[in-house]
Amino acid sequence: MRRVSMTSNSRRHPFSSLGEISETRYWVYLLLLPSLLLLFLVVAYPTIYGFVISVREMRLTRPGLNGWVGMKHYISMMSDRVFWISLKNTAIWVAAAVMIEMTLGFIAAVALNRNLPGTRLFGVLILLPYFLPNVVAGHMWALLLDPRLGVINDILVRLGFLSSYKAWFADPNTALAATILVEAWHGFPFFALLFLAGLKGIPEDLYKAAAVDGAGSFTKFKLITVPMLKTVITAAVILRVISLVNSPDLLLVLTGGGPGNSTQVLSLYAFQTAYRDFNFGYAGALSVVMFFILMVFATIYIRLSRITKE
Amino acid sequence: MATLSLKDVRKSYGSVQVLHGIDIELEDGGFLVLLGPSGCGKSTLLNIIAGLDETSSGDIVIGGRSVSNLPPKDRNIAMVFQSYALYPTMSVERNIGFGLEMRGTSVDRRREAVARAADMLQVTHLLDRKPANLSGGQRQRVAMGRAIVRDPDLFLFDEPLSNLDAKLRVEMRTEIKRLHERLGTSIVYVTHDQIEAMTLATKVAVMKGGYIQQLADPRTIYERPANMFVAGFIGSPAMNFLRGRLGRGKSGWQFMAKDICLNLGRSKEKLEEQEVILGVRPEEFKVVHHDIAAAFHGKIDVVEPTGPDTMLTSLIGGQSVIARVGPRFAGRYGDDVSFTVDPTSVNLFDPQTKLRITW
Repeated sequence: MRRVSMTSNSRRHPFSSLGEISETRYWVYLLLLPSLLLLFLVVAYPTIYGFVISVREMRLTRPGLNGWVGMKHYISMMSDRVFWISLKNTAIWVAAAVMIEMTLGFIAAVALNRNLPGTRLFGVLILLPYFLPNVVAGHMWALLLDPRLGVINDILVRLGFLSSYKAWFADPNTALAATILVEAWHGFPFFALLFLAGLKGIPEDLYKAAAVDGAGSFTKFKLITVPMLKTVITAAVILRVISLVNSPDLLLVLTGGGPGNSTQVLSLYAFQTAYRDFNFGYAGALSVVMFFILMVFATIYIRLSRITKE
Repeated sequence: MATLSLKDVRKSYGSVQVLHGIDIELEDGGFLVLLGPSGCGKSTLLNIIAGLDETSSGDIVIGGRSVSNLPPKDRNIAMVFQSYALYPTMSVERNIGFGLEMRGTSVDRRREAVARAADMLQVTHLLDRKPANLSGGQRQRVAMGRAIVRDPDLFLFDEPLSNLDAKLRVEMRTEIKRLHERLGTSIVYVTHDQIEAMTLATKVAVMKGGYIQQLADPRTIYERPANMFVAGFIGSPAMNFLRGRLGRGKSGWQFMAKDICLNLGRSKEKLEEQEVILGVRPEEFKVVHHDIAAAFHGKIDVVEPTGPDTMLTSLIGGQSVIARVGPRFAGRYGDDVSFTVDPTSVNLFDPQTKLRITW
């Protein structure tokens, strides 16, 4: 009966057909449509465009070659020595930086979670590195580690660890390690912040119960802290790995990938291919490979952390 | 099973003293309830007994053994937390057996003990589940299982029923009482719920501001509260306080106020003429009809039937009084009403010190 009266009203009121849709299950999709469109414009379109570039030749220096080339870039990548070096360096760089950052971040978070006097100030101090833009942090550390003026060289020589000043970023044996340490310094507050939030969420009663049950510090850490932080750890690692894989800025400032590709990583290689060699097609293909590596990593990682939870 | 004695236990955080010389003796197999409003220090005291918090001074003796300097695990106590504090990543079985596991009990004996505790609490069918997949009442049972499985000297309960809904709370209260009767282990139980205190305790310590206001069995606490705080805290609706004067009448001491004249009886020689506060429990008022000899005369203000009985608010000489009367009470707003009260059931308080006047 009500339905009949509503349809008879629809002729008079211009919005009453909307009113009818709002009673159906399609209403949800209608409401979501604007944000979907926006998402498509800012997320899907650039991504798809990147994929399209990767199967085209697009060199600003040689416009005559531009056009569809299919899988050419991917095939030449397989025999590109620099690509494989970059892949290896990316793995080392990301794994080492995340490990160090996570350890430092965890120690900082546990310390900050103690609520001792002064921890609030200390909390702000610990976050400072993260406030610095990568480029600024890079230049700062380049100066600190400078082979002629660097204060760190000076300290190490005075303390007797070094006989003479060392060019940390110019030596292929130390360049990657030095950049990893700078990155770790810059990135550990991210973990500290997330871990601190996670630690605050663990009920105090659990530790009390464990104390009454007779568990020691290590058991409490292993059976309460780590499992309770598992979600936070998973999320933090994924976010951090993605940002590390995708950001070439620190390496661009410190080493530019050198010496001799010893600090070359995929993101930097793609960046240089695009903006130094103006070879957008190949750079696009490199980015697509990074995209898939990250996707596979995230999927496997999430799955693994779920399996261990059960 | 063991006795518990607290000897002049004090605790301060910085310059703030939260416990002021607590002395408690609990007999073997006793059930001590620490009762008080939030912030009275009852949970701190429980944590101190457990060893989760240190005393500033004083001694804690469990079963004749001073445990003040021992860590929680060496005090042979078990604790049930308000939040249950079940380990979220462990199965129910491991949760219950965790205390034994930490003490190096063999797997077989552990399994046996867990099975026995689970059976007692009817959670055997839940042993494989994770705490996240349990209801509130089930978690509560598991938390209790974790405590009883170790057969400790002393159980500590920290507001164990506050997170349950009303119906479940009553059920679990009965369960705890049954458990206590069955196991006979001494219990210290923290709550702000006076019903829990009355139903469970063999001894109640009413606390406020870090002091014990009264330490006695529930009956005494209810019938002879040591001061007006205890009198007002225990009982719902609360005890009525009526201002008036104590004077000598023809038939002995009398409490007098406007529209009130209550004979207290003869042999009360310790009293003196003074301003006093009369404390009367709502259920002690008896409605009488047209009785000139009645002690209280007033007008009905509000009638609130609750089912089993009716709460009757009356104005007596300008003072508001709540009486618990029979369910079929027929008065209404504005009617005259008269009450008598058994003089042996009332308490007198000093208006200055707020303490009960003994007589």
